[in-house]
Amino acid sequence: MRPAPSSGTLLLRGLLAAIPIAALSIGVPLGNRVEPRILGAPFLLCWIVAWVLLTPAFIWAVGRLERHW
Amino acid sequence: MSGAVALSIVAVVVLGTIGFALFGVRRVRMDPQQYIVGGRSFGTIFLWVLLAGEIYTTFTFLGIAGLSYSQGAPAFYVMAYGACAYVIAYFITPAIWRVGKENNLLTGPDFFETMFDSRALGVSVAILQFLMIVPYVAVQLSGLQILLHIAGYGAYNATISVCIAFTVLALFVFSAGLRGTAWASIVKDVIVLLAVIFAGIAIPVRFFGSPSAMFDRVLRVHPQMLVLAHGNAYHGTIWFASTVLLSAIGFFMGPHSFNAVYSARGADTLRRNAMLLPFYQCFVSLMLFAGLSAALITPGLKGTAVDQSFLFVVQRYYPSWILGIIASAGALAALIPASALLLGGASVITKNVAGDWFGIATDDRSRTRLTRALVLLVALLALGFWLVAQKTVVELLLLYYNGITQFMPGVVAAFAWRRATAWGVGLGIAAGLAVAVPLAALNISPLGINPGFVGLGSNVLVLILVSLVTRGR
Repeated sequence: MRPAPSSGTLLLRGLLAAIPIAALSIGVPLGNRVEPRILGAPFLLCWIVAWVLLTPAFIWAVGRLERHW
Repeated sequence: MSGAVALSIVAVVVLGTIGFALFGVRRVRMDPQQYIVGGRSFGTIFLWVLLAGEIYTTFTFLGIAGLSYSQGAPAFYVMAYGACAYVIAYFITPAIWRVGKENNLLTGPDFFETMFDSRALGVSVAILQFLMIVPYVAVQLSGLQILLHIAGYGAYNATISVCIAFTVLALFVFSAGLRGTAWASIVKDVIVLLAVIFAGIAIPVRFFGSPSAMFDRVLRVHPQMLVLAHGNAYHGTIWFASTVLLSAIGFFMGPHSFNAVYSARGADTLRRNAMLLPFYQCFVSLMLFAGLSAALITPGLKGTAVDQSFLFVVQRYYPSWILGIIASAGALAALIPASALLLGGASVITKNVAGDWFGIATDDRSRTRLTRALVLLVALLALGFWLVAQKTVVELLLLYYNGITQFMPGVVAAFAWRRATAWGVGLGIAAGLAVAVPLAALNISPLGINPGFVGLGSNVLVLILVSLVTRGR
């Protein structure tokens, strides 16, 4: 058995999990623009792709805090 | 002639995939644990392949392109909800797996039965899941028919081809079980990846010079197509946010998803998968580019024809062997998830309805045999349902999406709220369905919010109230 994650990081873990979900749902109005375009793609699409690609990093960080890897 | 070439390629790829998978499972002895949940032995990569294989269906393949063709930016929700679903999966799937491992569970209804100590709840969930699975399989058959019709250049009867392909698939599931689906997913994932890269990169490059130039054209012709409308407008930001959250919540609640979760070797296998699945998601999203390109190349399609938009482009401007490969990818995107659905539907009936309720086929040998027989029966039912109700299938899909989401409050309550009771969970599901399905069928979105959310709200409310007045676990 691995040591149980300390409850001190509970808030941090919850926050790390909530950030990508919020960015891709209620946070979408923040990225809802055409300009600036990145590599030709409209900003809204870039916003979503960027957050999808960042999601594994957030999951990794939560797993790290929970000592799963 | 071209139709014969393309259809032959589809036949060779589908049969080759099935042959490959049968070779993969040739030494496996089938008991119920092996047949339904892969012996709980799948490692990170094998499980990743299986999950990508069953998650990305014809809806991903045809639907994303169709939605971006007709709507533009609202189609981006498909990308967003997958990633959100994987964050939720990181927390919930290891917990479900642990309960499954400790209690030797086979199905999703088993989970409800165990956690709430109620056979009646398990049987009810089993019947509901079964009813939701049949139209969902039928949707895959509709997708398959579109693909085979276009691959045959309209010269062949696609309905007969669908019946043949689906019969072969049912026999494959009969013999190979969940492990067979995982092996077949290896081929499916690779071919679908090649097809989406072709559709998303090669088509824009050929017609516009680059994907970037394609976006220039879209913005010139339809300036508002690549952003969302504000607030509670039709398909506006409120619709987007609520649909992303709702779809993410329902994501792992299908009966076949429980089978896949149980098949993991360990809890960390599922956590790693939650981290790795967004990468496949990103590639699949190239279908957005294909749909937007098609909107410029062949504008003006209406109704269900939008789902075929990019296939029309391939059919008209590319040689038949390329169409054959693209159609093969689409056919596997229909058949592989369908194989997991058949197994999921058959297993809930064998284990929870026949076994737990009527006491039939409870030893290992007869349970494997009954599940196999039911795979064929579910396949026949789905095929019959599809032949009879072809036109209304899309509306029935609403039952599936709104339906499976209603299982989530019970799963969360099982872990998070000791006071939750079987009556609370069961009546909560009933209330959620009673509210969400009519709203969805009538296309009513209060304040621009996805109607499934209203159903989910009533579900949670009933779950809490009824649990408070009934006796606890």
